[in-house]
Amino acid sequence: MIAVYIIAGALVLIAIWAVLIFNHLVRLGNEAKRGWSNIDVQLKRRTDLIPNLVEAVKGYAAHERQLFEEVTAARTAMQQASGPAQAGEANKQASAAIGRLFAVAEAYPQLRASENFQKLQDELTDTEDKIAAARRYYNQTVYQYNTRIQSLPDLIVAKLGGFHEREFFELESPAEGQLPNVDFSGDPASQ
Amino acid sequence: MTLQEQIRSNRIRSGMLVLTFGLVFVAIGAAVQALYGGYALIIIAGIAFVYALYSWFANGRMIASWTGAREVTKEEYPELVRAVENASIAAGLEQTPQVRVVDDPCPNAFAAGGSPKTAYVAATTGLLAMMKKRELEAVIAHEIGHVRNRDVRLMSLAAVLVGVVALVADLALRFAFFGGGRRRDGGNPILMIVGLVMLIAAPIAAFGIQMSLSRRREYLADESSAEITGDPEGLAMALWKLKQDTTELRHANRATAHLYIETPLNNARGMRAAMSGLFDTHPSLDARIESLEKMGGFRLAALDGEQPQLA
Repeated sequence: MIAVYIIAGALVLIAIWAVLIFNHLVRLGNEAKRGWSNIDVQLKRRTDLIPNLVEAVKGYAAHERQLFEEVTAARTAMQQASGPAQAGEANKQASAAIGRLFAVAEAYPQLRASENFQKLQDELTDTEDKIAAARRYYNQTVYQYNTRIQSLPDLIVAKLGGFHEREFFELESPAEGQLPNVDFSGDPASQ
Repeated sequence: MTLQEQIRSNRIRSGMLVLTFGLVFVAIGAAVQALYGGYALIIIAGIAFVYALYSWFANGRMIASWTGAREVTKEEYPELVRAVENASIAAGLEQTPQVRVVDDPCPNAFAAGGSPKTAYVAATTGLLAMMKKRELEAVIAHEIGHVRNRDVRLMSLAAVLVGVVALVADLALRFAFFGGGRRRDGGNPILMIVGLVMLIAAPIAAFGIQMSLSRRREYLADESSAEITGDPEGLAMALWKLKQDTTELRHANRATAHLYIETPLNNARGMRAAMSGLFDTHPSLDARIESLEKMGGFRLAALDGEQPQLA
């Protein structure tokens, strides 16, 4: 009889423990989702700005047709991308194409001086900064999330609960997703 | 300790701070009642209770009016607002805190308020004039670090509950003794006595702030800044610039000193400087720069072509 109680007790404990892990994974997953939506908002803003930029430059350098096509193709790729990894690739292409467009614009002082162009440049720089900021948060959360669902004991709960690994966005080095060693328990340099 | 534990510890400390504040005033009330009778206990405890309750919800606004931090729009200060937006995104805050500016040539910054939803980040015009984009972002990320680590409520409460004594002391000292140089035969005796009492109480209050907020919090926010921007060098440069600066913050007082990224009291002279030295709220800038150098694996003095420069 005692053995039955012990087993039942152990099962209850295991169930509680599994629920806690499950909730933690859900929370991490939601954070990653929120991180991704931050990136997504900025990617959309970027795709909205690109046609305006192309129009502005076209007025001065209509002969750069090939470059305009390249930029437009990169924009289409951004819109059609499914998932963070693809979106990252498309965004890299777009960054390169936009960079070349700005390089062309350098040759036209009048264009550079126009208020419209300056505003576009400013907005595009801002989206780029914000994508970089959102990327840092997103990749850090994805790193934490993936590490947990790949290692025991969370692995079991993740498999049963149907958690899947998430894709990184524009991961430049494998170490990028890792947090620097922030130690909240005390600092040897303090006091 | 993880971030979650840090947040929990901050919440508990906030509650303890309010409780201690209440108990101290109940004790004062009881003492006054024992000496003079009447309703002193109820009146004093009542005032303390109302003040504590008001502080819990309005500490951000109170500090804004003490420090002269006014709300600004993105049109007025696009770079500052963007720095706050970007740091919030990178820190994973659900919402960008409000942005405020203090019109003061002395470079400094602070965060105040309650939860990340009601907190705000304030920078002086001097900071905006002095810092390059990268450095400004690092300083703002330090403040956003305080917001994310949930330091702001505790720090703000410490300012408005414990620090109110220090604030009154500062004011009393200024009016009773120095009165802007317009001293006529001795001044008001009651104000003199209040001033003297406050003179004794203020360091104790400052000590109270010190006790509830360790200097470790500043190192931690520096680390958070590096994590948010991925650029410990930027913060080290910014701190180096702050170290070179000798201007004095106009609204500096002991009550709010611990809120700022760099102590605003260093440049004060005489009695105030001597006393604040005993109760430093911040570790030295050199120690903080060194800690960033260790974390980022660089030497500020050896950064090629990237030396911080004063404009």
